[in-house]
Amino acid sequence: MVEKTDDELLVEEFSRGDETAFDRIVERYSTGVGALANRLLGWPGEVEDVSQEVFLAAYLGLKRFRGECSLKSWLFTITMNKCRSHRRRQLLRLRTSSQVADKAKPPSAQTASTNPMDAETFNRVRNAVGALPAKYREPVVLRYIEELGADEIARILGISQNALHVRLSRARKHLKQHLDSRME
Amino acid sequence: MKNMKEDELKNLLQEIDRMAGQPGSTRVDVSSVRRRANRRRLTYRAGPAAAAAVVMIALSIWSTSIRTPGPMDEQKQIASLESQVRQLQASTNAAMNLIHEVLENERRQSQLDKLEAELASIPDPLEEIQRQVDETAFILVYQADRLHRELNDTESAVETYKRVIKLFPRNQWATVARERLSQIEDS
Repeated sequence: MVEKTDDELLVEEFSRGDETAFDRIVERYSTGVGALANRLLGWPGEVEDVSQEVFLAAYLGLKRFRGECSLKSWLFTITMNKCRSHRRRQLLRLRTSSQVADKAKPPSAQTASTNPMDAETFNRVRNAVGALPAKYREPVVLRYIEELGADEIARILGISQNALHVRLSRARKHLKQHLDSRME
Repeated sequence: MKNMKEDELKNLLQEIDRMAGQPGSTRVDVSSVRRRANRRRLTYRAGPAAAAAVVMIALSIWSTSIRTPGPMDEQKQIASLESQVRQLQASTNAAMNLIHEVLENERRQSQLDKLEAELASIPDPLEEIQRQVDETAFILVYQADRLHRELNDTESAVETYKRVIKLFPRNQWATVARERLSQIEDS
């Protein structure tokens, strides 16, 4: 008999009506979801709303979760979709108000003083990643920062592994163009 | 070469991520998630019911308008329509009551959550007193240190150290004061 993972047990408990199972899921994954949202949105620093949306969608859909992928992958897929919607809304708001506000959180004094990278390079790279189209930015974040495996990323993005490699290669090319001096 | 570039990119991105730090807050308000989920479920349920009611009314009006009934038929139809409208009114009222009830519960729950949060934010009085004791003892030791080292007023410094030991015998700063006293005595 195949032993069930903690996550599977939590989902099962929730499906049976144990509401505290959801609390434990939030406790386990809220940091990871928040960090991923922060990275996908270009490190704005404030992602509480997106995290809230992710867990609302998870709460509404958890009973339909069939365990075809891990709970983490499933939550990451929701996070990605919510980040896409969030960016769309942001763009719409920017277009209507014609205001561009850079909400990026500056690096803290401690990290800035101990880190060899200066603020200008930080902003250059951050802007370069932020300027990537979503279909390139998402695999870059999942692969190089979240360090997920190719099969997991392909599943989260709903694409084949070949398509993933093509996107990563194009993303690298885009980034190289933006950061030529640094990459060469 | 390709791998090298990939590694370089990975290192660069991870460095950026470290510099950017963690997001300000990743706290998820689970009670708010539940409230919003319940509200959404209610909307999903009430929406189709309201739509069905509208369709039924429209169909009734349409079916009466295309017929050319006699006076008796007309009376029956009017009575039937009135009864349907009453039923619809009753079911709409029930749905509205349910919605009001859920919203009222949510409002109460929200107030309760706020009160709980306020209560949680009030510092424990005992901890607060302990903090103030620590602070006072620290200030006295600090002043005594200055008297001794900067102003060479050993007599006043010894007096202040002794006061700390007397007033706060079990505090960590009393231990420091004892150490200072023994250092002065040794010298």
